[in-house]
Amino acid sequence: MIERFKPAWQRWLGRRIPPATRVELDHRRIFILPTRVGGTYALILFLLLLVSINYQNSLAYGLTFLMLSVGVLAILHTYRNISGLILSGGHARSVFVGEPVQLRLRLESTGHGHQAIALGWDSEQLEQTDVEAERLVEVGLTLPALKRGWMRAPRLRVESVFPLGIFRAWSWLDLEQTVLIYPKPVAGTMPLLQGVQPHAEDDGHATTGPGVDDYQGLRLWQPGDSMRRMHWKAWSRGQGLMVKEFSDLSGHDLCLDFMALGGDIEERLSRLCYWVLELSQRQQPFALRLPGFVSAVDSGDTHREACLRQLALYGVRA
Amino acid sequence: MTSSSLAKPIPRVSLNWLLIAQALVIVPFALHVPVALIVLWLVCSFWRIQIFRMRVRMPGTWIKSGLLVGTAGGIYLARGSLIGLDAGAALLIAAFILKMLEMQNRRDALVLIFLGFFCIAVGYLFEDSLLWGVFTLLPITTLLAALIGLQQSGISSKPVATLRLSAKLLLQAVPLMILLFLFFPRLEPLWSLPQPSNKALTGLSDSMAPGDIAELSKSAELVFRASFDGPLPPRNQLYWRALTLEQFDGRRWSQSSRAQVPDAPQWRREGERVSYSVVLEPTGKPWLMTLDVGQTDLAGVRQMSDFRWQRRRPVEQSMLYNVESWPDAVRETVLSDGARLQALQLPAKGNPQVREWAAGLHRRHPGTDAVVDALLSYFTSQPFRYTLKPPALGANSIDDFLFGSRAGFCAHYAGAMTFALRAAGVPARVVAGYQGGELNPDGHYLTVRQFDAHAWVEYWQPNVGWRSVDPTAAVAPARVEQGLEQALAADEEFLSDSPMSALRYRHLAWVNSIRMSWDNLNYGWQRWVLGYQGQQQLQVLGRWFSGFQAPVFAGGAAVILGLLALWLFKPWRRESDSQLRLFNHFERLLARQGLKRQPGEGAQAFAQRAAEQLPAHAGAISDFVREFEAQRYAGADGSVGALRQRLKFLRRSLPWRLSAVRGKRP
Repeated sequence: MIERFKPAWQRWLGRRIPPATRVELDHRRIFILPTRVGGTYALILFLLLLVSINYQNSLAYGLTFLMLSVGVLAILHTYRNISGLILSGGHARSVFVGEPVQLRLRLESTGHGHQAIALGWDSEQLEQTDVEAERLVEVGLTLPALKRGWMRAPRLRVESVFPLGIFRAWSWLDLEQTVLIYPKPVAGTMPLLQGVQPHAEDDGHATTGPGVDDYQGLRLWQPGDSMRRMHWKAWSRGQGLMVKEFSDLSGHDLCLDFMALGGDIEERLSRLCYWVLELSQRQQPFALRLPGFVSAVDSGDTHREACLRQLALYGVRA
Repeated sequence: MTSSSLAKPIPRVSLNWLLIAQALVIVPFALHVPVALIVLWLVCSFWRIQIFRMRVRMPGTWIKSGLLVGTAGGIYLARGSLIGLDAGAALLIAAFILKMLEMQNRRDALVLIFLGFFCIAVGYLFEDSLLWGVFTLLPITTLLAALIGLQQSGISSKPVATLRLSAKLLLQAVPLMILLFLFFPRLEPLWSLPQPSNKALTGLSDSMAPGDIAELSKSAELVFRASFDGPLPPRNQLYWRALTLEQFDGRRWSQSSRAQVPDAPQWRREGERVSYSVVLEPTGKPWLMTLDVGQTDLAGVRQMSDFRWQRRRPVEQSMLYNVESWPDAVRETVLSDGARLQALQLPAKGNPQVREWAAGLHRRHPGTDAVVDALLSYFTSQPFRYTLKPPALGANSIDDFLFGSRAGFCAHYAGAMTFALRAAGVPARVVAGYQGGELNPDGHYLTVRQFDAHAWVEYWQPNVGWRSVDPTAAVAPARVEQGLEQALAADEEFLSDSPMSALRYRHLAWVNSIRMSWDNLNYGWQRWVLGYQGQQQLQVLGRWFSGFQAPVFAGGAAVILGLLALWLFKPWRRESDSQLRLFNHFERLLARQGLKRQPGEGAQAFAQRAAEQLPAHAGAISDFVREFEAQRYAGADGSVGALRQRLKFLRRSLPWRLSAVRGKRP
C-alpha cells in the first residue's frame, strides 16, 4: 500500500521541495505533526481535565490549561527550532562498490541556535547534532555504495522534536549530492590486449600470451630499485639482494583490454578496475581499452581517475 | 520520537532535573501521605544517585516486586484501604517514587514526568492555598525542564539553560492559560469521586456540651469570609446561623431528629434586604452559614425546617455562595404540634430549682415577652461573669450555673435560658453559629474565625413567630459589640494556645496591616481563582463579554498566538536573511544565463567569472555583489532596499530567458 503511493509522494515532494544544493528550511519545506509522545501528553491532559471537572478544582483546571498552552506553544517552538537552518551538501569522495560513501553536510545557523537536529536517510536511523547560533557544523553521513556509476543521494531527512518531544518538525531535502561509484576491484590475471598494442613500436616485442604475469626473472639489486620488488626469499637463502624483474619494465606499454576478459560486464569491469589500481600503484604506465573508448598510455593520479571514471560510467552514461 | 530513541539512555541534565522535581513534588505531600513513604523516597533517591554514579546496580526483578508489594501493603496498613482519595494519592506518590528506581531509558523517564504532573494535580485536592499554588510552579518548571532535557542531544546541554528554557515556555504559556481559564465552560462533576477527607477539622458539631464552644474559641482558624453588597449591618446584628439544637438530655444540646426531615418553613419577607456572598472554608459539615432569614439559589442546597441551609454533601472544599437575607422577616407564625412539642422538650427530671423558678416567672409575668425580659434582667442584675474557664458544674448543671457559679460562656447562657423558657412553657431552642467577624478595611469584607463561634436563643409565640434573643449580650455586651478578645477579663489571655498567631498582635499596627493585606490577598484568591466555578464564571463572563464569549475567546487566542509567534520569530530581525535571499535570487538570475556558482565558490569570484562571461552587464553584477559583501561581511549598514534596487537593475538589464540551463553534473 505504502509502496504504491511512494512514487506519487516522491513526485509531490519534488514539486514542493525542489532539489537545490543549498536549502534554508522555511515554512514551505517544514512539516510538523504530533509524535506518539504527544499522544500520551494529550491523554494526560485529558485525565487532568477529568480530575479538574470531577473535583471542581480551579488549581487543577489551571494546571490543565497551563499544560495545554505549553503544548500549543510547543508547535511554535518545535517549528522555530528547525526553521532558518541552512543545509548544504559538501563534496563527496568517490568510492568503490561495497564501500560506504561518506557524505559531508554543512549545517548553518544565521540566527538562533538549533538543538537536537537529527539527520539521516530514513526516519529510523538518525544522527543528532546541535547547531549553535550563527555557527556552522559539518556532519558526515554514510550511505552504502551498491551500484557503480553516478549515485544520487536519496532525500535527506532533517527532523527535530526539540523542545518537548510532543511535536516533530521535519523535512525531506534533496541537496543534489552525487557521487561517482567505481566498480568493485576483483583480483585476477592481467587482461592484456591480444594483438596490436595501441602504442607499441614496430620493433617492440610485445609480451604475448594470456595469463603471462610478465615475470621475467631476478637480477641484482641496484640503488633506486623499489623495495616492493625485493626478492626477500632469495636474500634469506643467502643469495644476496635480488630484485624481481618484470617484462614491462623494459619500456613496453601495457594495454588493459575489456575484450580480453570473459564473464559478464560487471565482472570484467571489476577485473579491469583491479588492474588499473594495481598498475597505478606500481606507477607503471598503461592504457585502457573499452568498447568505444581507448585511453592514452599514461600513469599518475589523473590518468587513474580518468580510467576509473570510464569504468564506472561504462554503459550507464545517459 | 521514534521507538528506538525512546529506548535511549536518559541524558544527565534530564536526570538531574527529574531528581529535583521529584523532591519538589513530594515534599509538600509530607503532611498527606504516610511518613514511611517519605523515608522510601529518600532511600530510592539515594539509590538512584548511586546507580547514576555506577556505585550500585539497578534493582533486580525480585527487589522491585518486593518493594511494590511492600509499599502497597504498607499503605493498606496505614490507610486501612487501597481505595479512596487518601490511599489513592499515597499509591500515586508511591508509584512516582518507585518508578524513579526502575527508570532506565527515556520511555521510563517520560512516564515519571507525566506521573509527576499528575501528582501535582492530585496535590491540589488536598491543598489549594495561594502559597501552595505559587510553590507548585517550581515542580512544574523542573518537570518541564526534565522533559526538555530528554530531547536534548546531550552534547552541549547545560542544566541551567534547560531550566531557563522551561521557565520561558511556561511564562509564554501564561496568557493563553488565563484565557482558557476564563472561558473554558465549567461542567458539573461527571461522576462522583472520593473526596479528600479533612479529619482534623474543628468547628461546630450537631451537638453541644457547655464546654465545646469554649474549646472552639481557642482556635483562630478561618471559617468563612463574607462580602456585603451594600453597607455592613451593625456588628450586633451579625448572627450567622448554622443550625439549631432542640434536644436536651440534661447535659448536651443536640440536633433533633425532626430537623433532618426536609420541610421548608413558612416565613414572610419584611423590612430591608441584605445581600452578601460567602466563601466558606471546608467544614466537613453540610450546613451553610447565613444571616436570618437567608435565601440562596445555589444548586444542591435547601432550607430546612429550622431555617438553616443544608447542602446535600458535606462541605469538603471551600465554596462560594450568594445570599439575600431579610433580618426582619416574620418566621413561622403557626407552629405544628410536633414542632411545638420538640420546642418544649425537657428531660423527665433534673434541675428542679430552675423548673420551679421558671414556673414562678410564668405565673408572675403574663405574656412571653415579659418572661424573656424577666430572664434577661435576671442575667444583668445578678453577678454573672463571662469566662472561658468556668468552674465545673454538678449533675444539675443548669441549677448550679444559674444559682451557684454564675460564670460561663455563651453556651451556658443559651442553654440555661432555653431550659428556663421551656420550663415556663415558652417554645424555645438553642441556635449555634457564629457572631460578628473582623472587618478587613482593605477588601471591605468580614472574616469569621472559629473563636467567633456563638450560641444564642430563639423563642416562639403565636402570631409573632420565632424571635432571637442573646443572653450573652446581657451579660457581656462587649462580646457582641466588639468581639471575644474585648469581652474576656484581663486575666484570661486571648488565643493562649497559639502564641505565634498574628491575631494576638492586632494591637501592633504594622503587624495588623500586613495581616489584613495578606488575608485580603487570600480572600481574592479564594473568590476569584478557587471560586471561579459555575455561576461565578457565568456572572463574570456575562458582565464582561455578554453574548460575545465565543468570538472574544477565539480572537483572544489568535491575538495571543500571533503576538507570541511574532516575538519568537522576530521577522524584523531577518534583515541578514533577506540579504541572503536576494543573493539566492541573484544566483538564479545568472543561472538562467548559464552561469552556475560552483560549490565553494565565493561571491566575489563568482561575480568576476560572471562579469567575464557577460561583459555587457559587468557593472550591474559587480555593483550588486559589492553591496552584498559590504552589508553581509563588512558590517556596513546599508538597507536591504539598496541591495534590492541593485538586483532589480541587474534583472532589467539581463536578456530574458525562459528556463535555467541544466547544470553540469560534477
